[in-house]
Amino acid sequence: MGSAHSDAVTAVFSAHKILIAGGFGSGKTTLVGAISEVRPLRTEEALTTASIGFDDLTGVGGKTTTTVALDFGRITLGQNVSLYLFGLPGQERFSFMWDELAYGALGAVVLADVRRLGDCFPSVNYFEARRLPFVVAINCFDGAPRYEAEEVRAALDLASDVPVVLCDARNLASVKQVLITLVRAISVARARSSRT
Amino acid sequence: MTVPPGGTWRRRGSGPVVRPYAVTGGRTEPADGEVLDLVAIVVATGQSVDADDRMRLTPEHRRILTVCRNQVTVADLGADLGLPVGVIRVLLADLIAQGAIAVVPKRPAGERSGQDVLQEILNGLRAL
Repeated sequence: MGSAHSDAVTAVFSAHKILIAGGFGSGKTTLVGAISEVRPLRTEEALTTASIGFDDLTGVGGKTTTTVALDFGRITLGQNVSLYLFGLPGQERFSFMWDELAYGALGAVVLADVRRLGDCFPSVNYFEARRLPFVVAINCFDGAPRYEAEEVRAALDLASDVPVVLCDARNLASVKQVLITLVRAISVARARSSRT
Repeated sequence: MTVPPGGTWRRRGSGPVVRPYAVTGGRTEPADGEVLDLVAIVVATGQSVDADDRMRLTPEHRRILTVCRNQVTVADLGADLGLPVGVIRVLLADLIAQGAIAVVPKRPAGERSGQDVLQEILNGLRAL
């Protein structure tokens, strides 16, 4: 058996992955739900030392995985393009899942809550290191103080090519704008890397 | 253990009572070692499975074959069947080895360039 890939079938649609990252409670599931139907997906991930004390391994000495719930949404664009939004588990404990989720992704949205800006540092660091195009979307929670996008850019020490936008993760039009900004940034990043 | 008529071993709020890897015979890695991406597209080939292999098909294998009559991503398959992605991958690998399921090539011949796809996504988003 050579390859699982068959030449006999051709794709009737293409599926593209965008990651939605951000700290716990930053509005990831809300954002996915504003633009698509959220579907829960279970994954099971290799247990790491981070799980010790959380996952009871008594009697399952050979168990090396644990179950993590993941939300995703699908947006059908036109006849044959589908965009899949995957919420990246925010807790540090699940950061080992990010590599698999980021593999083949077009880009990412980092949701930021200005009251807890530090929560999005791990995501920002990760996408910078991976050179995956991303946008920072400041989720304007009711009652949260307002900051200009440029103030947040400075606070996060972002490169000039990383767009920073204000958004309301509950609002379709707003989420749409975030995704459009991201796709434009991806396009610019690709054009640049193909020149160099 | 028999499944009650018309039902599955499922407890409200706690998911299936049968542990995920009971479905895969304890296996946690796909037989061929290939890890399918969450947005990889799979489809049933319609090729008949030989008698020996057919005997080994579990109800979950059969459910996958049913859903895969149309092209579907691994993530959608997991959500449709309510099974963890790792379990789906193991079962898919079995079916792929038997020729019953094929992974659809990501970029069919003559597909548009990456920039064209991005433009298509942009247009689609604007039209939402």
